Amino acid sequence: MDKKYCVYICTGCGIGTSLDIDALSEVAKDEGFPVKTHAFLCGKEGVELLKADVSQGVNSLSIAACSRRVNFDVFSFDGCCVDRVNLREQVAWSHPRDQFPALTEEEKAEGKKFDRVQMLAEDCIRMSMAKLKQIKVPEPYKLDTFTRDILVLGGGVTGMSAALDVAKAGYKVTIVEKSGALGGFAARMRKQSPVKSPYESLIPPVAADLIKAVKANSNITVKTDTVVARIAGQPGDFTVTLKKPGEKHPFDVPFPLPPEMKVDAGGKELTAEQQFEVYKKYNEGKEDILKFDPTGEKFGSVILAAGWRPAKLEGEAFAHLGIGQMPDVVTNTQFEEIAARGKIVRPSDGKEAKSVVFIQSPGKGGDDGDFAYCGSVTSIATLKQAKYVREDYSDGKAYIFYQHMRTPGLSENFYKSMQQDPGIFMTKGEVVGVSKNGSGLVVEADNTLLGEKLKVRADMVVLAAGMVPVTADDPVVNLAYRQGPGFRDNALFDQYADSNFICFPYETQRTGVYAAGSIRRSMTIEESMEDATGAALKAIQCVESSNRGVSVHPRSGDMTFPDFFFQRCTQCKRCTEECPFGALDDDERGTPKPNPTRCRRCGTCMGACPERIIGFADYNINSIGSMVKAIKVPSSEEYDEPPLRILALVCENDAYPAIDIAGMNRLSFSADVRIIPVRCLGSVNVIWIKDALSQGMDGAILLGCKHGDEYQCHFVKGSELASIRMTKIGDALKSLALEQERVTQKEVAIDDYHKIPEIINTFVEEVEALGPNPFKGF
Amino acid sequence: MSERYMAEPDLGFIHEVIGLGGNTLKKCFQCATCSVVCPISPDNKPFPRKEMIAASWGLRDKLVKDVDIWLCHQCGDCSTKCPRGAAPGDVLAAIRSYAIADYATPKAVGKAVNDPKKLPVLIAVPAILFAILAFVTVQLGDTMTSLFHAIGLEWSHGGEEGVIAHANFYSTWFVDVVFVPLAGLVVLVFAMGLYRFINDIHGQAVAEGKTTQRNLDYVGVVKGIIAVIPTILKHNKFSECTENKDRSTAHMMVLYSFIALFVVTNIFFVALYLLHSPGPYSQWNPVKLLANVAGLALVIGSLLMIKNRLARKDQASSYKDWYLLGLVLGLGLSGMLTEMTRLAGAEALTYFMYYIHLIFIFNLFAFLPFSKLAHLVYRTVAMGYSNYVGREK
Repeated sequence: MDKKYCVYICTGCGIGTSLDIDALSEVAKDEGFPVKTHAFLCGKEGVELLKADVSQGVNSLSIAACSRRVNFDVFSFDGCCVDRVNLREQVAWSHPRDQFPALTEEEKAEGKKFDRVQMLAEDCIRMSMAKLKQIKVPEPYKLDTFTRDILVLGGGVTGMSAALDVAKAGYKVTIVEKSGALGGFAARMRKQSPVKSPYESLIPPVAADLIKAVKANSNITVKTDTVVARIAGQPGDFTVTLKKPGEKHPFDVPFPLPPEMKVDAGGKELTAEQQFEVYKKYNEGKEDILKFDPTGEKFGSVILAAGWRPAKLEGEAFAHLGIGQMPDVVTNTQFEEIAARGKIVRPSDGKEAKSVVFIQSPGKGGDDGDFAYCGSVTSIATLKQAKYVREDYSDGKAYIFYQHMRTPGLSENFYKSMQQDPGIFMTKGEVVGVSKNGSGLVVEADNTLLGEKLKVRADMVVLAAGMVPVTADDPVVNLAYRQGPGFRDNALFDQYADSNFICFPYETQRTGVYAAGSIRRSMTIEESMEDATGAALKAIQCVESSNRGVSVHPRSGDMTFPDFFFQRCTQCKRCTEECPFGALDDDERGTPKPNPTRCRRCGTCMGACPERIIGFADYNINSIGSMVKAIKVPSSEEYDEPPLRILALVCENDAYPAIDIAGMNRLSFSADVRIIPVRCLGSVNVIWIKDALSQGMDGAILLGCKHGDEYQCHFVKGSELASIRMTKIGDALKSLALEQERVTQKEVAIDDYHKIPEIINTFVEEVEALGPNPFKGF
Repeated sequence: MSERYMAEPDLGFIHEVIGLGGNTLKKCFQCATCSVVCPISPDNKPFPRKEMIAASWGLRDKLVKDVDIWLCHQCGDCSTKCPRGAAPGDVLAAIRSYAIADYATPKAVGKAVNDPKKLPVLIAVPAILFAILAFVTVQLGDTMTSLFHAIGLEWSHGGEEGVIAHANFYSTWFVDVVFVPLAGLVVLVFAMGLYRFINDIHGQAVAEGKTTQRNLDYVGVVKGIIAVIPTILKHNKFSECTENKDRSTAHMMVLYSFIALFVVTNIFFVALYLLHSPGPYSQWNPVKLLANVAGLALVIGSLLMIKNRLARKDQASSYKDWYLLGLVLGLGLSGMLTEMTRLAGAEALTYFMYYIHLIFIFNLFAFLPFSKLAHLVYRTVAMGYSNYVGREK
């Protein structure tokens, strides 16, 4: 594409009064770029001006006005490269002239003093022009074969609800259920807790209606007694091998080598070829991930609704509760099974159980934690089961000992109505023991609301065991990905299938696989059905995005994708291993095989690649590298005391908005910092920092999301990987005889705007203390 | 505290408390707002939060033996402020009714007093008794006179000819032969109940750490009772209430009327049997004057109480409350009407009113240890006990 450039400078919103627009225009003209200024560029007239130019052939526009985060729809022109220069929030507004005075005409003529804010604005224009030279208009990646069919794993309430939602939207859907029948646990319950006003009486479980609806829907195929052997390929074009549970299958998913098998007896790492040999032996009888099952079924995306299993209450922690030792102490799931069979009777002798104690927390030792994997659902289930006792026996008594009674939202009304029942007795308390008393039991509790140590007689004791996500035992999805068949970081979430719980529910760490229901957290039937709808919509979004060759999430609609210059690949496998989403597989020699529809376009591979062969059409090593090089570094020859130049690589998801908000609040910070937004700190290639320092810049700061166990990174691993790379850059700096402190990384959340001045200014002061970069002027 | 308490909820008790007006006992979620807002709750182990959970757990024994239920004057501050719509004041009142019936012997009478279906029986007993006695007085006067003369006593206290005297309808002998032993019986029932009561509340107070005084000294309790009498007479506890403060006047009127009428009755008893001066007395007799004022105060006081109760929508009123208020009003009204009809010279009417009046007196008197009115005794003793053990605000 022949590029026709133009720089547009908006003088509205205080830009014109803050900056010397003529001098700014000169910067562009020096580069040979035409310049136009307008007082109100986003207004009707301004946009008309831009449109007229575009129709005249201008296709690379540098718009120096407000932040890229606003008016993005106004300044969007098909087939054009548009770069936004943030003169408003990050120059004019965050550097008010009462704190950063402009030069007088005399001072300008003298040429000894300098205007830091003007210098900042001019660098911003230079960076934008440099970038425009390096980027291209993106073209979407199109799959050769494509399907819109959706696969649902799990035939319980969540799976059936999701399938019905997907089918109603007009998509074909297949439900794969491990057991012999649809319905899951809900189909084996006696009753379901109320879901609507007045929240007083139990309702028949909804599972039966769902099963009927699923069977009646022609868009839904049901496969019971079936599990996934493997899911290969990528969203829009998954090849899925199904099998009977327990069956051995050549397309069973192979497992990646554990770290200890990747080294030889001496601890030296094996070569890629050697590792592949070991891997083949390790996965004897299983086809490699890159081989697709010719008889496999095709699906576009997957809804993971495999649900939960009852927690096993074993060992010392539960010994005082008598579970496993006394037959009349049961878990809530066992109690539900008894209730579904008929009247509540004791397992030990089949006698009527008229006095039942429900225990919500294991207690003992002052710990008020509930049973693991419980939640509001176990509180609500206990209330429901207490009602069984009262429904079965008019003189029945149900005791509930809790540390927490969680009945969120309107289910509070169910709690209230249960509380009104004369035969329900509740107290907060720490259960210290369950013991035998004749043919019955005695439950002892401390710290009760009744103000003393209590004991009550019971025919049965029910423990509110939690709902363990099945992903704790088994990857379930069995993805034929080089990084392994399951999700990598489930341990962070107590084995729940999850990635970014609050910001992006349903998203897992694998694009195209959306989790719903109690595999995400313990949920009631009602919550699971709502969750199913969310996952169904995500699965539809995924196939529709994959079909158009655009990113699903979180860069929804992004048409770019990572492009590899394979001739220079050294098969180091860093990209394959570091990709947070397992988007890259590699062959036996270690050459990466991209799967563009799995990709989320974070650029972590680009940051990882030591050969710098990975890039996107509008975001690559050169586009950012040339921006860094475009920054003018003043030397001591120009000024007696030249100002510092500090590079700030800023995550565009949280840190960049935070800086904008700081500007909107007129919070000021050093004008010697040059801000370049990056897709994710994971995409930061250390070459940019080396370039900056070797051209004489004095320091570099990376601003990104919180990382670690409670990460806030949109791309899960990006900020963490960046921090690892930054520790390694220390050695490189030493070899240049530079201080390690010149490069740092700070965490900024989107609401941390008030911390921005302190973070930036403190770093500037630290660099100031180190003195100017000795390479300045070379 | 070291002993582990075996909680044995009594479903029957819960149902009874609900029936006695404590129907919100299950609504409590133990936030303790009630204990905080209660103006008369002690700082140490304050009520009624713990009473509410004991009630919702149906812990009968704990509550019946709880001295604190008697310290409550049912201001209703707790009920108004409860965020959950429970009415601890009403629940405690219901528990008090239950406790009164529980401490009184025989239990069947206590049950009957709290049961609206048994009201006809409660009325029929005195109605039949007094009908027989009226028959004997009117029809067999001569026989009775000769019988009494044989043992040297005067039968008739009817006074002069032509003057309407109620003694001509009911012999004063009959009236006193009914009420004097009845009074003795009432005292006996109370004594039996109080003995258990005082030991129970003390045992419970020690067990729950409300007092450190382990031994029960009856003299000390009596001293405590004497110490709280000014408080009771001045209605000091009532005036600490925020809600329902206006109840104080009405309650005071009724209380003082009863005291005055008790004094008047005793003076006339002495006048009749020791000074041999039978009624009716002059309206200007100072004792008679006191009786008239007291009677009037009783009518007005009870009417005010009824009005207050009807006006309060946030307070539950159950049969036990209406039974007692009806009785007090009926007593005052029938008494005043008996006198007025007598002065008006309507002989048949005044005799009938007197008959009605006696039925009311009998109900009030005979069922005193069983009805809500027994709070007169239990609350006084409980307050005295609290004073004795130092359980006060």
